[in-house]
Formats: sequence, C-alpha cells, structure tokens
Amino acid sequence: MYITASSTISHQPTFRNKGFSLEIQELKPDSNLLAPDYSAFIPAMERRRMSNVLKMAITSSIDCLEQTGISQPGAIIVGTSMGCCVHTRNFLDKILAANEGPLSPTSFIVSTHNTIAGQISLLLKNHNYNITHTQNSLSFEQALIDGMLCLNNGVNNILVGGADEEENSIYNMKERLKDETIHLSSGVSFFILSTEKNNPSPIKLVDVGSFGLIENPSGIIIEFLHSNDMVPEEIDLVLYANSDQKKTEELKLLFGPGKIVDYQKIAGTYYTNSAFAMSYGIDILSQIKQPLSRDHIKKVLVCNNLIPENLGLILLENKKE
Amino acid sequence: MFVTGIGVVSAIGLNAEENLRSLQSGITGIRQSTEHRLMIGKVNLSNEQIIQLLSLPNEDFSRTTLLSMLAAKEAWGNNKHHHSIRTGLISSTSIGGLDRTEKYYFESQNNKAADLYALMTHDNGRTTERLAVELGISGYISTISTACSSGANAIMQGARHMEGNKLDRVIAGGADPLALFDIKGFSSLNVYDQDICKPFDNARKGLNLGEGAGFLVLENDKSISITGNKPLCILSGWDNSTDAFHQTASSENGKGACLAMLHALAKANITADKINYINAHGTGTGNNDLSESAAIKNVFGNNIPPFSSTKGYTGHTLAAAGAIEAVYCVQSIQNQSVFPNLNFSTPMKETGMVPETIYRSGIPVEHVLSNSFGFGGNCTCLIFSKAH
Repeated sequence: MYITASSTISHQPTFRNKGFSLEIQELKPDSNLLAPDYSAFIPAMERRRMSNVLKMAITSSIDCLEQTGISQPGAIIVGTSMGCCVHTRNFLDKILAANEGPLSPTSFIVSTHNTIAGQISLLLKNHNYNITHTQNSLSFEQALIDGMLCLNNGVNNILVGGADEEENSIYNMKERLKDETIHLSSGVSFFILSTEKNNPSPIKLVDVGSFGLIENPSGIIIEFLHSNDMVPEEIDLVLYANSDQKKTEELKLLFGPGKIVDYQKIAGTYYTNSAFAMSYGIDILSQIKQPLSRDHIKKVLVCNNLIPENLGLILLENKKE
Repeated sequence: MFVTGIGVVSAIGLNAEENLRSLQSGITGIRQSTEHRLMIGKVNLSNEQIIQLLSLPNEDFSRTTLLSMLAAKEAWGNNKHHHSIRTGLISSTSIGGLDRTEKYYFESQNNKAADLYALMTHDNGRTTERLAVELGISGYISTISTACSSGANAIMQGARHMEGNKLDRVIAGGADPLALFDIKGFSSLNVYDQDICKPFDNARKGLNLGEGAGFLVLENDKSISITGNKPLCILSGWDNSTDAFHQTASSENGKGACLAMLHALAKANITADKINYINAHGTGTGNNDLSESAAIKNVFGNNIPPFSSTKGYTGHTLAAAGAIEAVYCVQSIQNQSVFPNLNFSTPMKETGMVPETIYRSGIPVEHVLSNSFGFGGNCTCLIFSKAH
C-alpha cells in the first residue's frame, strides 16, 4: 500500500512546503504553531466555532484530498490522544462559572474525541467508515493499522491522521513522561493510503506496529523487521522518540551509527507526534535528486517510544522503479 | 469469530446473570439521584467497594477502569494466556479519566488542595492500560472513542483485527462512569426525561444517563482449538457508517443507520428477514427514536422483526452502551428470548411501530442485530448469530 498524500500543520514550516525536511531546524523553546490561513479552507461561519485542533485537522485533510484529486475518501480514521481537550476544559470552566445555572452546550457537543473525524465527514458529506483511536502515544499508529485493514478489505483511498493540541492544564503530560524539559507543542498530519501508486517514485507504507506495556523494545523492533524480511542494518534512517537516554544508546547499537534522528527536537512533544515523524520521513524519501537530498535513504523507520512502556513502529520505503 | 465470554455491569446488575434476571423480570435500574436531582442508572457499588471486591491495591483509579475491570474480568473468566494465542485488548470510553480530572480541576479552581496525580489517569488510553495490567495483557492494547457508539466500535475493531489475522483472541468492550461533565453536558442539551425514559413511545421526553461496562471475549478457530472454549454465539456481521448530517442530531431518514444495518447484513451474508430481534439504540429522545425508526423501516420494510430498547433498564450508558447491549444480544441467543422495552404505551404517530413489551422465551432466535449511534453521526451495527 502507498501513501499518495501527506500534509502537516505544526510548529515548523511544513504546510504545503514540499522539501521542508531539507530546511527545518531544531525547534526553538519559544516556538509557536505556524497556522496557515484557514479562511481558504473553512467557511467563516463554521470556522468561528472551531477549536484549533479542528481547524488544523480539517485544513490538513482538505490539503490531502486536493493533492490526490479525491473528493470522497473510502474511510476517515483519526488518532488523537486528547481529542478536543480545549473544549473539554472550556466546558469544565463553564460548569464552574454557571454555578448550577443554565449552560450553553456549544463546548460540550464538540468536546468528544471523535469531533475531528465527525466534522471532516460532515464537511465532505462522507457516509463511510469513521473511527477515532485514543491510545495516548499509540493513537496514530493504531489509526494507521485500522487504515491498512480497510485497504485489505477492498476499501481504497483512506484518509488517516494524527491530531493533538497543546493543553497542559487538564493533563499532566510532563509528569506522565517524567520529563520537565520537554517542549509541548501542537500538530496534525493527515495522509491518504491507497492501493495504487501515484508517481514513479512512490512511498510505500510497508508495515505498522503498536505494542503496549512492553519491556524489551529492541527485541520487538528486530522481530517486527524480521516479519518484513528485513534486518536493522538495512534501515537507512530511524526517526525516534523516547524519554530514556539508556534506550537511545541501545537503538544506536541496534541500527549502527549516524542513522538516528530524535524527531521530538523537530516536532516538539504531543502524543501523536509520530504522525509528524511519518510526514518528515515521507518528505525525505520524496526528495530524491534534489540538491541537498539524502539519496541513499530508501527505508525509514519511525520508532515511537515516547511513553517508555509503549512502542509504535512505522516502516516506510521508497519504491522507485 | 466466536463469542466465548461475556461480562457486564450496569444499573440492573453486577454480572451477566444479574443483568439477565432483571431483563427477564422487567426491573429497571433507573432511580432518582438526590445529588443530581435526576433519574439515573447508577451501578450499585462505590469505587471503594469495587476496589475491595476485586482485591485491588489502594491507588487512584478512574471509575472507568474500575467498571471495565468488573466486566472484563467476568468475561475473561478462567481463561489463560498462551504463547501461540495473540490476545489483544480493545476497550472504549468517552469519559476515560475525566472523572478524576474534573475532581482535580474543580478542587484546584476552588483553591482547595488538589492531587495533581489525579491528572495522570486523564487520557482514555491510560484507563485501558490499567485494565490490561490487571488482565496480564501486553501487545495490542487499544481504546476507541466515538461517543455513544464506542462500545460497538471496539467489538467491531476486535473482529476486524481477527479477520485481518493480526490477533487470535480479543477482549473487546467499553466502559463509562457517570461524570459531572456528561450530566451537565446532556442537561445543557435539554434531553433529559425527568421520569424513566420511554423509548419509541409517542410521549417520549428524552433519555436518562447511566453508567456501566460490557466486554466480550472473541476467539478465532485457532484460539478455540487451543482453549477448548464453547462458543456462546458467533459475531457474524458489523459495519460503521456515517450520517454526515449534524454533530449531535440524526437525519430524518436515518441514512447513516440505514447504511450501517445494510452493510452489516451484507457482511453477515444474510437477508433482512433472517433477523429475529433488534436491540435498538432507542435512547428515548425525540430525534433518535424517530430517525432510528425511519432507518429500520427503510431496511426491513413491512416485515419489522421484534425490537426493543433496553435503555429503560440501564439508562444511556454512552460509550458502554454498545458493549452492554452486545452482551444482551448474546444472552438473547443463549436463552432464545427477546427482552421487553419498558414504559411503552402509545406508538409514535409518524411510524406506528410497536416494540416488544413483554419478555418472551422459547422462540427461535438465530440472528440478532444491535444498533449503536453516537455524536458525529457515528452509526455502528453488529450482528450476532447462533453457533451451529
């Protein structure tokens, strides 16, 4: 299966900027979201009521559809750890402020995790399969696996995305990750998965894995690659995230020197930032023959160990003919 | 796709047997809550009582986790892990750890000493991970969140993972506790019936909230050949389709519901006339029941099979509803019986449809359809069939 479109809105100049992987730097501590002009994508009436994550997700979805010329995806699948958490907090605030008085339902009705996928379907008038995965740092990988299951069942052109926005007041992410130094950020990335390639240098989604409550990431990585007839030495680039220095050293040993890039330093930290890493990997794989490109990179593994006991793996390959 | 285990906790019972007895005898679990001045379907155990009952360590559990532990442990029963049975856990919730978060949030905003640790359980995934620890599961641990269709979607997801040969056995279901967030939320939508809800009745006024959890154990051929478990029934059909009409309301003709029922029938490879019982979503709101009735009429024409909503027993348990009602569907097949729809007296003037109003057993029940619909126009149907 192939990835025929990719679109990311983040703290980096990723949106509608093919080749961004060649130019972006490590994130500065005071970075902000680089929001595109949403008015080009979402009508003013709808836009006014939307939270940031919703505007980002819809815009990125529309960008994907425009890239491929597809009007109706065969399925819409979203991975989001926190969903529309800003509206969740808004409604908590309103409950407090109302002090048993009447409440406006506006924040409540858009606070559910599946508001993102639901609003995309509403905007597109899409009646197809529509699912939301919310397994903290593995939400996006599980959405991708779901998309692969759809393709295997004969449904084509699946819109899959990862979306989360920064909101530290109702979830204590720094505590959870046992790291006070992380740079919390927001980001969404959407993709189209298809059975057909759309260009002579297509990016293949080889396999995706989601492993919860594990003890031995290295062993699982080896087994995962083995099941795809690969060994770690074959991987040209590993985009990884973890909060444990010891495990980083383990990875270096496993894959060999000079292949490992910490995507948290580029994307910042949110639970679905492996979707950013996937778009970054796709951008690198797509830049063959560009002046600054890393031509030798053909196989990329996104290795998401953001929560130490959870491991997500996404294997990408450039299948140039 | 064999169903080999069921577990359920709701306002009408703390296990499958108790739930069945209440369904058979028409006893509701919905009561007046003095705290919230509302009719609600509360599980008759405090968090402390569940911790004691399950001999859990003294830690800060979300009620979502505690309810799901009760139901999932019942479904899992005496099953054991086996190196060649790939076992996954797919749960679902809309509240997740928000019951803990809201407590923290209100306390901290009121300048009371609040326990920051409460926030650690906020995310949905965390509530499922804690359940996985209890069940000894590692590997594929997942949480679906699609509002009120979540439980059905988790079960469907389990089936899809087995069909795609990713897993051999799945514990799938969902849980939601009564959280102030939802109590206030549905109040802001003005959808409460101040009495016990009256699904499909012309004079229906709205819904009652409830809480609970439901879980199924699903096994494939390979798993069952190792465990030797006897199938209770088969999960034969499933589908998720979208209404794409409105964030919270269903369309007049129930397009999403209609598509989900038709696709699930096609997946089960049966025609509509083979369905012997429909466990409807039937929340008791004006909008849902009318839209669902229109969809049922569209799919079944003039041959509408016996149908009922069990929301009059449990209240609307949100993400848990689809999973709890999946358990009831399995019990309908096990006992060859259909469950009554409480508080029905007058058919809706638009449709004239009459649900089952008395418990009937000893009738042939080969195929059962379960409907679950949620915010975002999310429509899911499951079909359970008798194992032969």
